[in-house]
Amino acid sequence: METGIGLKFGQRRRILFLISLALMLGLAFRFYSIQIINYDSYSNKSAKNSVRKIIKTAPRGIIYDRNLVPIVDNRPTYGLSLVPYDVSEEFNYTLFEQITSLPEVEIKSKIESIKKRFSRFKPFPLKRHVNFEERSRIEENKLEFPGVNFSEFPARTYPNEARLTHALGYLRTVTDEVLKKADPELNYQYGDVFGFNGLERIYEKSLRGNDGVEFRLVDIYGIDHGKYITDREYEIGIGKPLILSIDSKLQIKAEYLLVGKKGSVICMNPQNGEVLAFVSSPDYDLNSFIGPIPYKLWNQWNQNPEKPLMNRGIQGMYPPGSVIKLISAAYALDNKIVDKNWLVLCNGAYAYGDRTFHCWNTTGHGHVDITQSIKYSCNIFYYQLIQKIGFEKWSEIVSQFGFGKKTGIDIPGERRGIVPTRKYMNDKYTSRGWGKGSLLNFVIGQGDVLVTPQQVIQIMNLIATSGNSYGPHIKKGVESKPINISFKKSTWEFLKDATLSVVNDDEGTGKNANSNFGKVAGKTGTAQNPHGEDHSWFSGYITLPNNKMMSLVVIVENGGKGSQVGASTARELFNTFAELNK
Amino acid sequence: MNWILSKIFTRNSIININYRIVSPIILLCLLSLFLLNSTSSESSFITSTFSRQLLWLTIGIFVFISAQFLRIQFFNEYAYHFYLILIIAILGTYFMPIKGGSQRWLIFGPLSIQPSEIGKVLMVFVLAKFLSDKRENFNHLRIIISTILLIVLPALMVFNQPDLGTSIIYLAITYPMLYWAGIRPYYLFIVISPAISVLAAFNIIAFYLWMLLIIILFIYSQPKVLEGVILFIINVSCGLLTPYIWENILYEHQRNRILTFLDPLRDPQGAGYQIIQSMTAIGSGGFWGKGLGQGTQTHLRYLPVRDTDFIISVSGEELGLFSILFILVSYSFFIYWILVYAVKIRNNFSSLVMIGFVSILFVHLLVNMGMTVGLFPVTGLPAPFISYGGSFLLTCILMIGLINNITNNEI
Repeated sequence: METGIGLKFGQRRRILFLISLALMLGLAFRFYSIQIINYDSYSNKSAKNSVRKIIKTAPRGIIYDRNLVPIVDNRPTYGLSLVPYDVSEEFNYTLFEQITSLPEVEIKSKIESIKKRFSRFKPFPLKRHVNFEERSRIEENKLEFPGVNFSEFPARTYPNEARLTHALGYLRTVTDEVLKKADPELNYQYGDVFGFNGLERIYEKSLRGNDGVEFRLVDIYGIDHGKYITDREYEIGIGKPLILSIDSKLQIKAEYLLVGKKGSVICMNPQNGEVLAFVSSPDYDLNSFIGPIPYKLWNQWNQNPEKPLMNRGIQGMYPPGSVIKLISAAYALDNKIVDKNWLVLCNGAYAYGDRTFHCWNTTGHGHVDITQSIKYSCNIFYYQLIQKIGFEKWSEIVSQFGFGKKTGIDIPGERRGIVPTRKYMNDKYTSRGWGKGSLLNFVIGQGDVLVTPQQVIQIMNLIATSGNSYGPHIKKGVESKPINISFKKSTWEFLKDATLSVVNDDEGTGKNANSNFGKVAGKTGTAQNPHGEDHSWFSGYITLPNNKMMSLVVIVENGGKGSQVGASTARELFNTFAELNK
Repeated sequence: MNWILSKIFTRNSIININYRIVSPIILLCLLSLFLLNSTSSESSFITSTFSRQLLWLTIGIFVFISAQFLRIQFFNEYAYHFYLILIIAILGTYFMPIKGGSQRWLIFGPLSIQPSEIGKVLMVFVLAKFLSDKRENFNHLRIIISTILLIVLPALMVFNQPDLGTSIIYLAITYPMLYWAGIRPYYLFIVISPAISVLAAFNIIAFYLWMLLIIILFIYSQPKVLEGVILFIINVSCGLLTPYIWENILYEHQRNRILTFLDPLRDPQGAGYQIIQSMTAIGSGGFWGKGLGQGTQTHLRYLPVRDTDFIISVSGEELGLFSILFILVSYSFFIYWILVYAVKIRNNFSSLVMIGFVSILFVHLLVNMGMTVGLFPVTGLPAPFISYGGSFLLTCILMIGLINNITNNEI
């Protein structure tokens, strides 16, 4: 018998034991090298695995009106994400598409591809800014959507009836380009939102606040297991509130008056430059989207022929019409070029060179002195007066009143307008391409001279304050730059009387603007529009019995004569202001 | 009936607990309970793996006690019957519905049995019987080949279920048992050498070294010239054919699958994911571990199948290298004493059974632990007495029970 058992048994036992011992030692060494030699690197990896950096979006500062009524607030909005690992076959893509309008095919293929990856346990963001209705519908059908997650972060909401659209502006998402150019102090991250326009842009630094950073222990399913204590976290810094000089009630009224019209209304306090109401119509609905403005919607607005995105208050450039005559009249008086008794005969037309210039009143005003020239808004008077002043002097004084320059209001995108000079005309038409007759157009506010409503209101601010007004600002308490015109006292008295008579005299063009609550002064204007009906201007100011003042400018595009729509809109606003400031 | 019972059971069995063998096992079971208690902390007590493992251990005590009354020679006498039954049972699984991607179970209503599991024990009896039978002409090669044929049939059937882990176990018990039965290591080497030639062929230097080793071994053990030349030619051609098959016959995805199986870290987001997480857990444990219940990898679920396949990683993370050494030392004592008893046993069959059982347990442990540290591919073999799992635990306890029985009654 030769079976091996029994043969050198002890030796075999030893060899088997040594082999198993060797194998176990090999294992032990492998564990030793992982647990002791490479401890640091694995320990690090394990910490990274489970600690997740959470960025808590700081709510932007709330924007209030002058009475601390909120105009822009924040509300929670939701980010929708999917954990690909949890998305099972029961996932109802069709219903999901119905609710979120995210295309079924696209999501399906995305999820399938991530499912194969390392990141399949991490929430994959599908849509930011899901509104409450969408969220509730998804929550109701939660069983149909395994793997759906919501995160909450603040977004803008506009709770007030006052829209203030163009002044407020809107937000956009930070892109690579923005990141490159942005102030590093703002610490933008890809995907953040930022103020792209309006006050949101100008006061971005204080409105933005600081995002908080927190570290949390997170398991593989993304489930939170409490805070991870570290010194790298920082608290959320809420954006600073912004208080505006806007009076939301006046603003509501002004917006109401411009509904269905194209144009702009600006109301100010001439004594300190505060803007009380700022309207540009038509506008767009800031509440029609959540968070940053969707590109598609923006495009749609941008291509709208009504130009809702244009801020007519500071970007609309119009011929000023008769209001600009005040400057020539004041200058002529102040420099004694003419006196109050200088008369001009208006018979409705005036021949100059080989052209004939008309007064708006084709039958003529008869003999007109300087006060009447403003009351009746007679053109012929100014055709004569400007020839005594001259082009250079006219350009200079008009510029002094702030035309052709930005007013410096705290809204971006302001335009300068155009105050023609000799050089400007030569550049545009060549020196032979224009005649002296152009100047006759300029002086009555027609032709190449273009102004924004924000510039026009400045004339009224200066008259109301006898030449000691301030630049406009929407943020309350801003020290804005003073605007001074050093005319004689009598010149200011003349301007005040003349503008008062425009509104208060029975024959004045602005009598529609008269209010029973205070003394109203103003000037109408009709800007000729070669493309259609003329634009209707009114600018003026009211002084209440308690000495409170409000200046305003109204322009209604294609509104016809300033004495009509412009003036009656102004009256409503004067009345509202008076009621609010009894 | 009485006759059958008297075949299976014996009345005059010595009942004694051999603490040299049982105490390391009890320590490992306690460790398992600590670890499962830690991983169960989030679930309710009733459904937790901890309480269920406790229940299985209780049942295991009864299995252990029952095993003391079994007549060991019964398994010797009927080994080939068991073999037949096993083959039929495994065949039966092919007609069962697919569960979790494989057909391993015989399903009778609520009861499902995995024949290949108890088959591990049965195959030990079969091989022990075959190798302990007395023979006139002891031909080493013929015995090796017969043994391998005997084991390859069920192993292939199990592999096809598919259940790679269990088929590895079937093959893994063969070598130690052949060696214990007295087969010369030279022949064992001959049988395995073509496989090594195939692996060595991937590196030209390794292949030359391997060929050199074969030549030296042949010269040293002095086989017949013809035999030596034939074996050498077989090895060389295996080595030369491998690159050809690799390049020209296998498709890209098949090559990738083989490479990924052998080195899971090649694919960190797929096959390697579990291993990377496991190594991270173990590595971050250090020597003393993070403390029971403190493992972030374990408790934040970065560690996959932590109760069964990767329980060692939980141990490594929460109790550190210390616990790993504890496990290895416990097993060393266990193996040492089994080998001591296996020498002392008068009965060849029982001696081979002990070697077979200890091989099963050791290979499980080796493959499982190696898998958690990236040395072996993920095959789903649990760590005996430490991993959670009902039927496997009972199988292991049955083996311990039988070993205890043998040490009491056959020495």
